[in-house]
Amino acid sequence: MKNTCKRLRKLLLATSILALSAAGVKAEPLKIAYSDWPGWTPWEIAIKKGWFEEAGVEVDFQWMDYVGSLDAYAAGKLDGCHMTNGDALVIGTDKPSVCILINDYSNGNDMFIAKEGFADVKSLKGKKVGLEEGFVPHLLVLRALEDNGMSEDDIEIVNTPTDQTPQVLKTGAVEAICAWQPSSGTALREVPGSKAIYTSKDCPGLIYDCLFVTPESLKERRDDWMKVVKVWYKVVDFMKNEDNIDEVLEILAGRVSVTPDEYEPFLAGTYILKLDEALPIWKEAEGLGSIYGSSKISDDFNVKYKVYEEPKKYSSYLDPSLTAEYAESVK
Amino acid sequence: MATRKQRESWFKVRGALNSYRSGILTAASFIVPFVIWCFFAYTPGLWDISHKLDVTTDLKNDEFSTIYRVDHVMEADRFGVFQQMVRDRNAEILTYQQSGGDLPEGVTVSSRANQKIIRKLHPVAVTTGWLNESQSTDNEAIYQLWKEIAEGNKDVPEEKISAENLEIIKQNWARMKVGGEIYDSATFPKEPLLHLIPDGERSVGRPSYLPSPGEVFTEGYKLFTGKSSLVEGSLGSRYIDSIIIVFMGFLIACLVGLPIGLLAGTFDFFAKLFEPFVDFFRYMPAPAFGTLLVFLLGSHDAPKMALVFLGTVCQAILMTANTTRQLDTGLLDAAQTLGAKKTDLVFKVVIPGIIHNLYNDLRILLGWAWTWLVIAELMGVKSGLTEVIDTQGRRFNFDIVYAVILLIGLTGFVTDQILARLQPILFPWASEEPGGGIAKITGWFSRLFGRNQVNASATPAIESTPNA
Repeated sequence: MKNTCKRLRKLLLATSILALSAAGVKAEPLKIAYSDWPGWTPWEIAIKKGWFEEAGVEVDFQWMDYVGSLDAYAAGKLDGCHMTNGDALVIGTDKPSVCILINDYSNGNDMFIAKEGFADVKSLKGKKVGLEEGFVPHLLVLRALEDNGMSEDDIEIVNTPTDQTPQVLKTGAVEAICAWQPSSGTALREVPGSKAIYTSKDCPGLIYDCLFVTPESLKERRDDWMKVVKVWYKVVDFMKNEDNIDEVLEILAGRVSVTPDEYEPFLAGTYILKLDEALPIWKEAEGLGSIYGSSKISDDFNVKYKVYEEPKKYSSYLDPSLTAEYAESVK
Repeated sequence: MATRKQRESWFKVRGALNSYRSGILTAASFIVPFVIWCFFAYTPGLWDISHKLDVTTDLKNDEFSTIYRVDHVMEADRFGVFQQMVRDRNAEILTYQQSGGDLPEGVTVSSRANQKIIRKLHPVAVTTGWLNESQSTDNEAIYQLWKEIAEGNKDVPEEKISAENLEIIKQNWARMKVGGEIYDSATFPKEPLLHLIPDGERSVGRPSYLPSPGEVFTEGYKLFTGKSSLVEGSLGSRYIDSIIIVFMGFLIACLVGLPIGLLAGTFDFFAKLFEPFVDFFRYMPAPAFGTLLVFLLGSHDAPKMALVFLGTVCQAILMTANTTRQLDTGLLDAAQTLGAKKTDLVFKVVIPGIIHNLYNDLRILLGWAWTWLVIAELMGVKSGLTEVIDTQGRRFNFDIVYAVILLIGLTGFVTDQILARLQPILFPWASEEPGGGIAKITGWFSRLFGRNQVNASATPAIESTPNA
């Protein structure tokens, strides 16, 4: 009898643990990937300062390589992932991911870098260029070529992970690379005489960096994502306050393992958007001043260069409502 | 005694060297690679002369389009151009300061820019002991230092601050002190100050992938004390993370592998059932399952342990089975003759019979588990020591990379040596000779100092030296 009681109690315990863990699934933290782009490292400020706990949202920020994070996201392992508006169209998910937040636009940190002796894009005709095919550096290079009356056929692309481009340029296996900071800075430093011949500053608005989330997660946990948006603008306010600059630099530089002095120029190359600067970009319009226009240009590029066959319904990838709602709430 | 006097050959075919000689050779096996490293790192003339920056600048131009921080190395001729860039800018600022007019292009009126100028003295001040590492943004202390240097109250070694920079310090101070003797953000000058001229000691310009042993050990020390400016926090917690990954993976591999191996080695039934597949499976590279593991287990520690497990478990099964089979069948026959049951056979004969060999197998397996660490930690969210190796490697900070790689190597090696030394204690009946290389060296040293504690019987020759 005693034994049966014991067993029964054990069974009860086991089932209650199971039940608890099943309940726990619902309250699981939002799994969000971020990578070394200077527009996304600022999340580190919120993480370090405990602003997510303060806002009452549980998050699991996962630090990854950019392309690694896209893969993990496409494999369904994440609720949210930071990517450029162009890349969101490219990655292989069956349903459109939804952009709920525009972090920044690239303002020079994405660089097309050629080694000594190649002064401009035109001089690279017939040369090898190391870049990560199908992703944002590819887009920038195509744009650079087009601005110079050239096309993809004029260069030979060598598929290279972005974080390894400095090494590849240094070995001399390619004449040019395309990468973003901090990799682009490393390349400029380690390959004396190398120079940025075209950067995202030459086409501001071509690359918007955003937080994309899965449609399921947005539907089920919109309130939580709303809190994430709120935390982001707290981070932006903190960053834009001149008095905090040393603290900001220390946190951000630490995240990507450079010194604050090395990091400081990154701030200009990635234009972090304040709320009132982001709102006009969310308006539907032609051209690079709107994320819609920018995404359309990426879409056209992708179709033209056969990254994918059919044009995508890019507007279904964009959801301005959370930012708008937040703006309304702080008015 | 007479036989001792005859010089034994160092090259005896399949003959063991005495422990004195093997001690020397063991030491040499470490010293030779180290000497080779030192040779390439320190020999003058192998590499061009370069400058390792200790004063740098935030100025950029077409040629220097990125920031060079302290400790970056620049070839001598480029270094000259780099300095000239700053001198040219200073000349423009000087003209502006003296005669007014338009601001030179790229110069801003901001106290932030000037703060950054005066902070460039911080790294030098750390090497002279005037400031400590953590004061890099301590405006008050740095301001005070400028004052003291400018007013000649500091004994300034010339190799630390050039005469040229000393002059700049004095000129700037003349403008700074208008705002007060003590730093005050409100009165700190906004009008452009002069930039310190980049400086750096001449050194051998080794390629970045070949740091000197000195640099590697200094970085290693900084990493462990949490003083590195490039890696956040101290290495300790990352080190523990990595160790946990390896040991958990290894432990699970043992829990699964040992029983299966034991059964397969004892009963042909299990051997035929398991071994062919395991033999097949072990040729599939474990990292190939990386994406799958991340998909199944998430991106934190679980898939990493799983990779170590996958990479180790096949060897665990096969080695255990093989070791079990090597047990003297006479023992099994005898036990069966005495009426032992099958479970008794396994637990009372097989396991005690092979346990000391199994221990050796596990040592080898643990080494095997370590080899998967780096690949495992690169999966999903990078973690542990590997994140440092990976990130710092990309930034060409190979001094840090090597320090961490050495740490991993050392950990594996020391663990193995400790386990080897434990063997004769745990299994006295099976010990032939204690320990591996390190044991030999320590034994050798203790003998040198006349404290003869280690394995006296194995070294009769050296033993008798004092009497001879």
